[in-house]
Amino acid sequence: MTSGSVLLEAKQLGKQFKTGSGTLDLFVNLNLTIHAGETIAIIGKSGAGKSTLLSLLAGLDTATSGTVEFEGKPLESLTDAERAKLRADKIAFIFQSFHLLPELTAQDNVALPLEIRQQAGAESKASEWLRNVGLGDRTDHYPSQLSGGEQQRVAIARAFAGNPALLFADEPTGNLDEATGQQIVEQLFSLNEQQGTTLILITHDLELAKRCQRRIQLSNGAIEELS
Amino acid sequence: MSSAIPRIARRQLWMQLRTIEWRVLIFAALLAVTLTSFLSIVSDRLESGLLRESASVLGADLVVRSSRPIHEQRTELAKELGLTTTQVIQFPTMVGAGDNLILSSAKVITAPYPLRGEVITDPPMSATVPEPGTAWAEERIIDQLGLSIGDTLQFGYADLVLTATLKQSPDRGSGFNTLNPHLLVNKQDLEKSAVLGPGSRAEFRLLISGENSALKSFETQLKPTLESHERILSLINDQPVTGNALANGLSYVRLSSLTTLLLASLTILLALRRFGHAQQSRSALFLSMGLTPKALVTLYFWQLGIAATVIALLGGTAGALLASLADLWLSGLLPQALPNAQWSSYIIGPALGYAMLLLLGMPPALEQAKVPVAQLLRSDQSSTTQKASWGLYAVSLVLLSAVLLLFLAAPAAAAVLLVMLGISGLLFGWLAQLILHSLGHFLANRLALGRLLIMRLRQQRKWHRLQAGVMVLLLMLLSVIWVARQDLVKEWQAQFPEDVPNYFLINIQEWQKPGVDQFLADREIDTELYPMIRGRLVDLNDAPIRPQLNEEQLKDNSLRRELNLTWREQPPVQNQIIQGEWWDPESNDHQISIERDMLEDLGLELGDRLGFDVGGQPVSGVITSVREVKWESFQPNFYVIFSPAALQSYPGTWITSFKLAEERKAQANELLREFPSLTLIDIDQLMKQLAGWLERLAESSAFVLIMTLATGLILVTITLLQALEQRKTEVALLQTLGARATETKHLDLLEFGLLGLVCGSLAVFSAEITLAAMNEFLLKIPLSAHWELWFTLPALASFAFIAIASLLRAPLKIEQCYAILKNNG
Repeated sequence: MTSGSVLLEAKQLGKQFKTGSGTLDLFVNLNLTIHAGETIAIIGKSGAGKSTLLSLLAGLDTATSGTVEFEGKPLESLTDAERAKLRADKIAFIFQSFHLLPELTAQDNVALPLEIRQQAGAESKASEWLRNVGLGDRTDHYPSQLSGGEQQRVAIARAFAGNPALLFADEPTGNLDEATGQQIVEQLFSLNEQQGTTLILITHDLELAKRCQRRIQLSNGAIEELS
Repeated sequence: MSSAIPRIARRQLWMQLRTIEWRVLIFAALLAVTLTSFLSIVSDRLESGLLRESASVLGADLVVRSSRPIHEQRTELAKELGLTTTQVIQFPTMVGAGDNLILSSAKVITAPYPLRGEVITDPPMSATVPEPGTAWAEERIIDQLGLSIGDTLQFGYADLVLTATLKQSPDRGSGFNTLNPHLLVNKQDLEKSAVLGPGSRAEFRLLISGENSALKSFETQLKPTLESHERILSLINDQPVTGNALANGLSYVRLSSLTTLLLASLTILLALRRFGHAQQSRSALFLSMGLTPKALVTLYFWQLGIAATVIALLGGTAGALLASLADLWLSGLLPQALPNAQWSSYIIGPALGYAMLLLLGMPPALEQAKVPVAQLLRSDQSSTTQKASWGLYAVSLVLLSAVLLLFLAAPAAAAVLLVMLGISGLLFGWLAQLILHSLGHFLANRLALGRLLIMRLRQQRKWHRLQAGVMVLLLMLLSVIWVARQDLVKEWQAQFPEDVPNYFLINIQEWQKPGVDQFLADREIDTELYPMIRGRLVDLNDAPIRPQLNEEQLKDNSLRRELNLTWREQPPVQNQIIQGEWWDPESNDHQISIERDMLEDLGLELGDRLGFDVGGQPVSGVITSVREVKWESFQPNFYVIFSPAALQSYPGTWITSFKLAEERKAQANELLREFPSLTLIDIDQLMKQLAGWLERLAESSAFVLIMTLATGLILVTITLLQALEQRKTEVALLQTLGARATETKHLDLLEFGLLGLVCGSLAVFSAEITLAAMNEFLLKIPLSAHWELWFTLPALASFAFIAIASLLRAPLKIEQCYAILKNNG
């Protein structure tokens, strides 16, 4: 995938929920085109549907109407196994609450997605990525022995280790204090730039959103691209 | 990933062993596997040592068993067909050395012996039959008589030299023969010993082996000519051991383990369900990294498989270790050391452990594949909760029930018990919750915490139903078994008045009778000798009896074997005439006095004429009286007594029983020394042996009960654990709203105290009803209330609930409360 070509495209996307009194449209006819290498922030109030949009874009949920195409292929036409393979090969996530496995060392946590892909040299690649995030001396530490910021750095290393085309970051600084959050953001954007990964970031933080090339506001079931 | 999955599963399990649900699960599964391993190994050893009538244990391919000497033509037929035969005579007899006597089962044999299987002796002997003038005895005889190899023992009129200890031998015989210690004697010594006279009680066996076709042909030709005193035992149509007290006891213990297995299964089910819920975000993470749903399920099955392997190894070893103590535990009761168990019995417990974990783990493992990855995205708090797949749970429970029923080997009885336990549990749970609800309303305006209590009872009602169902069932079963055991023993002991005879003397020949009479009279032993003649009931009112009876009556034992008949002038003192008159001196006809049960079971009436076949001669008489017989009196008792003229001229033996006080027991030895061929049965020894087995049965029940109690308490723990998060949130909310920590603690105490009281009271109520029904219909003893239960059960239940809840409940600080509410909001 060359930089600038369309990586992900949502066409006429709609999501409906059943409620006790009928149905609720979270969004209707939503269109969004994301190019390879772009950084995009999705902002919006609580309950606006940011996570649902992310789930649809990542192929984790199915839309009520419309399609999401990844590299031109509609995600809804893929089987569970094909979607799993897509996630393994091309997509990575960074979560607000890190989600590291407590029984694995930092190195094993980073190596995990590589092992799932049955990639050779998982361990050396994992320690290389830990060095990249400044945790080269903490490879044998368990998550419980690391601070919140360090844990999120391990999660960032894990996300980049698989060399993904698309990275979803869901409130990556939400569980961290401001200073640590700032460091994490610097690291995330610098690695993203180095790797040329497409980044879709969900955040409440407008300052953080400003670091992205594009900002999309989700409100009242529609998106608006902010300048 | 294929190689990474087992590694991740192992690490995941290792870390999760620290969680309470895995600890509870492992403990419950270990108890279940240990118990089943122990029971299957011990049952197998007891069965193959004492009960199983198959393979080499039969000592032959086919056996003809008879209560009379084997017909010549049976042996001839076998020889014509090219089969190998040998004869065995087995009978109970007292064996002596010095002043000591022991009741043993003598087996008189002749070479070749056995035809299948082997006789093992210490020291090993080249021959398989003792030389004439020598004998081989099982350990208990040697111990009891204080013998060493080379010593002499007294066998009737013969003195035999003990040349070896009998370690193992096939062909143990039936009934008491299997439990009494064996003495192997050469046939040539039988006549010299004179222990067996005409009409003596003995089991005669013809052992046969050879080609299958010849055996089948022998069986086919023999069957139509088989007489009522004969039975064929063969490997082809070998009948399972039935009606044997020890076999029944074993299946009772196995059945009683069902409650433990059921509780353990429920515990494992709840623990795995909780585990499954706790795994959802982990599973979502794996799926987000591209692990396929199939690989994720494989990962969880690996984890369950590793846990099951550890449990199988530990539980199987614990069960085997406990079983290896069985020899010690049954010491003094076993005639010989038990053989080793078959390897298959060692894998039953571990296999059950695998079945439990994998079947009950199937629903939560499969559910992981459906976990939405989106639940990891927290910005909108949009986590989705999974609905339980009830269909999957139903399938796994049905499969597990099938496995349990198979293990218990009595599927029908176990299925009934399973359903009964299930229904009673549901009923008790529902009742308890109803009572708690009413109590809550009653206390609402009477207690400061009353309103909160109502809220709590409503919120926890689902768990209260389950907890109460389990607790009531557990306490009821425990108290019924505990009390019934005491009642049974009391009833058993009360059956025998102080002065019941403690010796039976049988096989007294006609020519010995005056001598024996004199011996007893000289020593002022108050007793009476009864003639005993064997006969088979063949006619009713001068026509064959069988066509005149219905199917149920035809099954009656009195038609299936020869009866012991007697004749006398006067009615026996210990019998009571309840219908008709004793002999009419005017009548010229032979008269019969019959026992009540036999009269009723065969549908007979006064005035009916019964015809017997006595050694080929027909003898008949008219029923003129009906007697009530106290079988537990240990007096010679008879179903049928004839007027003297009918049987006086027939050859038979004499029988009597008498009481010898402890200090006069030496006279029994004198009697045997004077008349060595008599069979003297020491009832005290027999009773002691029976009491020993009963005691062991009670002990094994107690062992199963302890296991049941332990699993029950673990189950209550896991049910409390299930609602723990909810409780924590509620306590946090109450404290944030201004309640003091002590108040929330008091609320817990009140809730569990009440739950315990209700469960205890329901348990008392149901236990009393069950005990009353048992006393009325089974034991036939007067009804009585068991007041001790009325206090202990409610107290015990409340204590158990409060104790477990206090262990799980950690007091919350106000700052923790806020954190909990924030995280769960």
